[in-house]
Amino acid sequence: MRDNIFAELYNKLLGFFRQAEEEESAKDVACNRLRVVLMQDRTNLTPQLLERMRGELVELLSKYLEMDKDALELNLDQEGEQMALMLSIPVIRAKDEEEIEKALAENETKQLDDENAEEDEAVEEGETEEEAEENDLNAEEDEAEADADVESEDEIKSETKKFPNKEICGDCRECEFSDDIECEKKNPSKKSK
Amino acid sequence: MSGRVIVITSGKGGVGKTTASANIGTALAKAGNKVVMIDTDLGLRNLDLLLGLENRIVYTIVDVVEERCKLKQALVKDKKNPNLCLLAAAQTRDKSAVTEEQLKEICEKLKKDYDFILVDCPAGIEQGFQNAVAGATEAIVVTTPEMSAVRDADRIIGLLEAKEEIESYRLLLNRVRPNLIKSKDMMSVEDVVEILSADLIGIIPEDTGIITSTNKGEPIVNDEKSLAGRAYMNVAKRIMGEEIEFMNLEEETSVVAKVKKFFKGLMGKEK
Repeated sequence: MRDNIFAELYNKLLGFFRQAEEEESAKDVACNRLRVVLMQDRTNLTPQLLERMRGELVELLSKYLEMDKDALELNLDQEGEQMALMLSIPVIRAKDEEEIEKALAENETKQLDDENAEEDEAVEEGETEEEAEENDLNAEEDEAEADADVESEDEIKSETKKFPNKEICGDCRECEFSDDIECEKKNPSKKSK
Repeated sequence: MSGRVIVITSGKGGVGKTTASANIGTALAKAGNKVVMIDTDLGLRNLDLLLGLENRIVYTIVDVVEERCKLKQALVKDKKNPNLCLLAAAQTRDKSAVTEEQLKEICEKLKKDYDFILVDCPAGIEQGFQNAVAGATEAIVVTTPEMSAVRDADRIIGLLEAKEEIESYRLLLNRVRPNLIKSKDMMSVEDVVEILSADLIGIIPEDTGIITSTNKGEPIVNDEKSLAGRAYMNVAKRIMGEEIEFMNLEEETSVVAKVKKFFKGLMGKEK
């Protein structure tokens, strides 16, 4: 019984000192949280946009490198007056020239095809430039998916693929009707009108 | 004479804007400047309370704007210091009762007769803030070493930088607690300065004396023994262009310093 008490006390003491050593101080936590929040406040870059940027960077870099995509870190940092984009990529291996050439060639042909298709579409639908750009991005993502070296694992990527149009229905999130047009899935009766 | 118009602002409420205004104003007047303070917090006026002038207010800034009185009639003289006066906010009206142009005009008029015009800004970034900033060319951003206050200060700094009229702004770090900083439970002065990348005008320690001084309606700068009072006096001197070193709060609040102070006090009494 007594031994137990002493053992417990010893452990608690040990734990206390370890905690003091290992735990990040409240001030450090505050500083780090503030830096992240302020970066977002100052740049208007939302976490969604950052995630998307990450996806696109992965896609671009995977033409040249084989890397641990899940461990890739993308952060905005402040160094004095200068804002810096910090990208940390765990590289598994660099691809050899042949592979790179192949990936680039595939990319180019795809891009040409897509651009042509893009233009046709744009003319037909009378899209604004912004929307065309948006689609361009999506098209690139599609290529990446076709690329043998790139596995589509990014959530964002798959999501944008699911809704290729900028106007996504606010109601069912599946059909391509914008909010001001009635959603056909939710209001099947209105569709007949 | 062309006085300097300084707006005291913070974004977040409760960080000590009004206390800072009252103390900096009083300190500047004590140093021999002619000072007028404008309370622009319409509907929530408090500067009069901190100065102990609440019973002397006859006309407010809204009366001036709506031409029920002359500007000079609305200026309330301080009890102790004839160099200091207050243009009070109206308690019964809201922020829309005064416009940016009207405030600008008032500041322009006051510039001719006073060295310093201090504008106490309401919390928030809405019209009240825009009004208060309208006539100013300098700003003091009050913040505390807390996350929410620093974030709001950053927002305010962004807005001030977008204003062409504001030539400079400096940071006043309020409610600093040296013992918490020492134990790494609170962001240090250096942390806040680095995060906001702004120049400092002063560091004010947390001081219970602020509460008593507010209750009595007498700014703490009048108490030369208090640490916060001395810190505010230093802020005033820095505004006037003097180069004063920042206090080392950790030393000032250490046990040794307190013991020294105690003995000094005893010696003083013996004499």
